[in-house]
Amino acid sequence: MQYSWGQRVVAYLVFMVMAILVVIPLMAGLLTAFKPQIIWVSSPPIWIFTPTLENFEFVFVQRQNLLHLRNSLIIATGSVTIALILGVPAAYALARFRFRGSKGLLQWLISLRMIPPIVVVLPFYVLFQTFDLRNTHIGMILAYLTFLIPLVIWMMRGYFVEIPSAMEECAMVEGYSRLQALRKVVLPVVTPGIIATALLNFIFAWNEYFLALILGGRNTSTLPVATATYVGRARVEWGNLFAINLIIMVPVIILTIILRRQLVKGLSLGLVD
Amino acid sequence: MTAPTEVQQASIQTAAFRRWLYRVSQKYVHWFFIAPALLAILAVAIYPIVYSTGLSFFRVSFDSRERPFVLLENFIWILNDSDYRIVLGNTLLYVLVTVSGAFFLGFGMALLLRRITVGRNWLRLILILPLTIAPIVVGLTWNWMLDPLFGLINWILPGLGLPPQTWLASTSTARIVVMLVDIWQWYPLVFLIMDAGLSGLPRPPYESARLEGASNWTIFRRITLPMLRPVILVVLLLRTVDAFRTFDLVRVMTDGGPAYTTEMLSMYLYRTAFNFNKLSRAGAGATIMLIVIGIVSALMFRFLYREVERR
Repeated sequence: MQYSWGQRVVAYLVFMVMAILVVIPLMAGLLTAFKPQIIWVSSPPIWIFTPTLENFEFVFVQRQNLLHLRNSLIIATGSVTIALILGVPAAYALARFRFRGSKGLLQWLISLRMIPPIVVVLPFYVLFQTFDLRNTHIGMILAYLTFLIPLVIWMMRGYFVEIPSAMEECAMVEGYSRLQALRKVVLPVVTPGIIATALLNFIFAWNEYFLALILGGRNTSTLPVATATYVGRARVEWGNLFAINLIIMVPVIILTIILRRQLVKGLSLGLVD
Repeated sequence: MTAPTEVQQASIQTAAFRRWLYRVSQKYVHWFFIAPALLAILAVAIYPIVYSTGLSFFRVSFDSRERPFVLLENFIWILNDSDYRIVLGNTLLYVLVTVSGAFFLGFGMALLLRRITVGRNWLRLILILPLTIAPIVVGLTWNWMLDPLFGLINWILPGLGLPPQTWLASTSTARIVVMLVDIWQWYPLVFLIMDAGLSGLPRPPYESARLEGASNWTIFRRITLPMLRPVILVVLLLRTVDAFRTFDLVRVMTDGGPAYTTEMLSMYLYRTAFNFNKLSRAGAGATIMLIVIGIVSALMFRFLYREVERR
């Protein structure tokens, strides 16, 4: 379609403004992570200074937020791995087989995404006490599975639907069993989808705050919980806070750039390409 | 033909059995794939739902071992709680404003992106960055931007001829500022998905409409909108449901204040359970929330499925 020059200029201007609105807050925050304490807060803002790593040293060495980083990594990786192991086969079956109740099952699965976390958190809180899962990574991983499994199933179904079922049928005519066809024919094709699903769900688990806040104990708190501890009643330790924010944010930004082509499919639960 | 020997008979029987087993396994093979996930979901999602619904019929707190059955007492209590009604109003307003705000801004930007040829992928990538950043990080970053003493916003405003504000502490601005930050984070989702939807539209209808001399507006209303309906529904469904559950962003930005103007449903229930030690009342509130969200999403989903199947 053809657009006039005027329309294009307006479009570029609008996009410039919106891009600045994204970049300035994120950059300004990240810069603060490298500021020495005396200029954490300064008016007018100081843009040029000698960067220092003292905030990172403070949070990770003195305050031992390294523990939280470790917890975040263990819980996110663990829960995503289990969600994939359970969810990928289910997604395959829901994409391939039409059976009684398959559509209802899918709808039901998507409705699980809509459970308010508070509904999940109350029983988990009580269960953690009963089964002594407080302060264990296993407990947190179980809690995260509530939202990760339905997400994995829906996203992966989107990838399986795209593969023509003729591929497996050919393989099965050639004498493969369904499992062999699945392993040797379907899985290689769908691997990029699995990786994208894994990374996106890793982001969700990594960013999660609500469950971590309520269910996390001293040994299971994650980075998002740790960063909020720098907000004090009287003052906020901005430099330390942004040092942790940077550790939360930068991997996610990198993953987003890597995933940019898969993002639509993942975020729309495989409903839109 | 001689009669089959015993051995042959047995082998025929095992063959029949194996054929039967094969047929059955072929017929129900999907359950082998689905069962593990289903069992896990039953354990980590359905059981908690049942549990917390059950909880709302008893009187439960952390400091007492006794759990008397009280039927609807908790529901009656929470429905009579004036705070609950305020919070419900806040949440509905929040959902309405942030979802429609994100929708129109995102859709508008997606349409505008069509007019951009050079640097399109870069601009799209920059715009969607807030989408994957933890809401808590977004909230803290904007707290810093909006700080009345040193925040960038108050530093810029005088240059535009506007007075500095205590954005998050005054009842007149806190609500709208939090909603704007929510839109800042989530309009990229609408933008991204609508852009993909627009790219996926077939060209022939547009070409023939142009030949007929239809105006841009007519084309948008008669061709683009109807064809995008399923995508629009998906986006609205996702956004509405997430907006209902908002917690992280508002908690870190205002924690419900000032004067309760930004208190959300999920925050209220959290407080009821963990600060005020009324586990079962929170359970009753959560049950009501579950029912409301369930009805809303079921309606939207019914709509969506009809659309998808029509295609």
